[in-house]
Amino acid sequence: MAQPVLPPAIRFENLSKTYKTGFWFKPKLTPALKSLTLDVHSHQAFGLLGLNGAGKTTTLKVLLGFVYPDAGRVEILGGRISDRRVRAQIGYLSELPYFSKQHSGRELLSYFGALHGLSGKALAARVDEVLELVRMTKPAGERLAGYSKGMLQRIGIGQALIGKPKLLICDEPMSGLDPVGYKEMRDIFLDLKKAGTTLFLNTHILDEVERVCDRIGIMHEGVLRDVAPIAQVLASKVPVDYWIDVDKSQAGKLAKTPFQASIKAHGGFQIHGNQLNPTLAKLQSKRVKIGAVRPLASVVEAYFLKTIGMTAKFDPAKGAA
Amino acid sequence: MNRILQVAFFTYRELIRSNILIVLIVSILAIGSLSFLLSLLSYGDSLKIFTDLGLAGAELAGWMVLLLGLAVTYNTEMDQKAIFLQLAKPVTRGEYLMGRVLGFFAVNLLVVLGNALFLAVMVLAVGGSLPPYFAVSVIFMALEMLVLTFLGLTYQMIATTMVRVVLYTFFTVLLGRMIGEIQWLIEKQSAPFLKGVLTVVYYCLPNLQVFDLKDRIYDPTLVVGFTQWQEVLLYSFSYSAVVFLIGWISLERREFR
Repeated sequence: MAQPVLPPAIRFENLSKTYKTGFWFKPKLTPALKSLTLDVHSHQAFGLLGLNGAGKTTTLKVLLGFVYPDAGRVEILGGRISDRRVRAQIGYLSELPYFSKQHSGRELLSYFGALHGLSGKALAARVDEVLELVRMTKPAGERLAGYSKGMLQRIGIGQALIGKPKLLICDEPMSGLDPVGYKEMRDIFLDLKKAGTTLFLNTHILDEVERVCDRIGIMHEGVLRDVAPIAQVLASKVPVDYWIDVDKSQAGKLAKTPFQASIKAHGGFQIHGNQLNPTLAKLQSKRVKIGAVRPLASVVEAYFLKTIGMTAKFDPAKGAA
Repeated sequence: MNRILQVAFFTYRELIRSNILIVLIVSILAIGSLSFLLSLLSYGDSLKIFTDLGLAGAELAGWMVLLLGLAVTYNTEMDQKAIFLQLAKPVTRGEYLMGRVLGFFAVNLLVVLGNALFLAVMVLAVGGSLPPYFAVSVIFMALEMLVLTFLGLTYQMIATTMVRVVLYTFFTVLLGRMIGEIQWLIEKQSAPFLKGVLTVVYYCLPNLQVFDLKDRIYDPTLVVGFTQWQEVLLYSFSYSAVVFLIGWISLERREFR
């Protein structure tokens, strides 16, 4: 039996937004979104990727009704964001969320829970549940003023989850998290996805996208350049550049090759992915000791860079990726 | 209604726990003590002077707390974008604004009533008696704070910087106290255009003199009857309602970039 086709959780149709700044008689126009059309499927995790200023945050702001589009329309969970019933089914975490520091974590979650219509024992139970989920039970009674950046981010995700959302929208959710927090956040996302929650993640951490998202969209300069399932991206075999570590003392063995200068200067050289095997064979034949072979980008990163017309480059100051 | 109360309580707690609480306590003690000292040093009925100064101080403390609260919360809500997470919840912008106003007003009420109570206790402690319209003047002062709170929060929804919010509110208070002078200017003005402009300004500004009973509470001819009560209540609530509508519409139209 065929699966029933679910309506998209989010639908953008020809969405455009231009910001006007400066004086009213001579405004400076900055196009932020250009004819964005996109469907985000229900029960899936969608990752919107892009460089800073690509239009990702504007997309979220239009989606949540914080800014108004110049053209086009947005449908969210089959309705409009202005509808309170729609907002009741959404959880939202802004980038580096800021809260009034005079409240404790528990008070803050209780407040947001109350805005979702919860009260009494149901509210208290849900607050406890969420505090446990985001590992904040212990410091829940302390004022937010004493919280670290990572703890604020956890409370932030807690307030987004307090209303048991059908759709969770996050803007750079990994900001400020340490590696443990990063993993815990990823686990929360995976659990939510398993439970049927639709995720819309606005991020530039590509590792997170690879592990969590089902589909990705790549934005650049206000234009949605590509939308693809992550499986397709991973199978795309976009060539990845590599960095090969070679000790500087070995440079003499590679005289008259294009790598010698780079080895002398940086202790290694960069090659294109399709030249990796022949180059390694050549190095072995010349008995050159190889330190390490490192990809300069992950497949998703390479796909992303290719889509926006850039390539990964080795930065001698920072070392290989 | 529950959501409005939730926002109001959250705002109230935020303000009370911030430095405003210190302002509140210091203002009550400082104003009360200063009024008492000044009344001892001045000629005439020291108790009357003490009551006059104490009530003026209570009003001043209310204005101070309002301005300070507007500045502090503008930074949190608008500059740091704490408002984003709240507006993404199932609360309307009108409910949010009304909740904020009520939270602010509750703090202001506490300041005005706290000061008035302190004053009353001091007067009674030195063996004096309170003038008959003492309580009425305090209630009128609270109504003035209600109007100013609606205005301040509306400015917060319209203005794009914290300094503007504070300046708009400050000058509104100042001009609202000078409404009699503006009326006098209108009467004296012969140029129709200027007269028209001044008349518009007169009707837009809050008439804070309506609430000013504190200077006359020792006037033996003073009578606050049903009509005056009706006028003051009607004026406060209708002015506040119009200001709230403007604030609500502004907030609905406002973009948060």
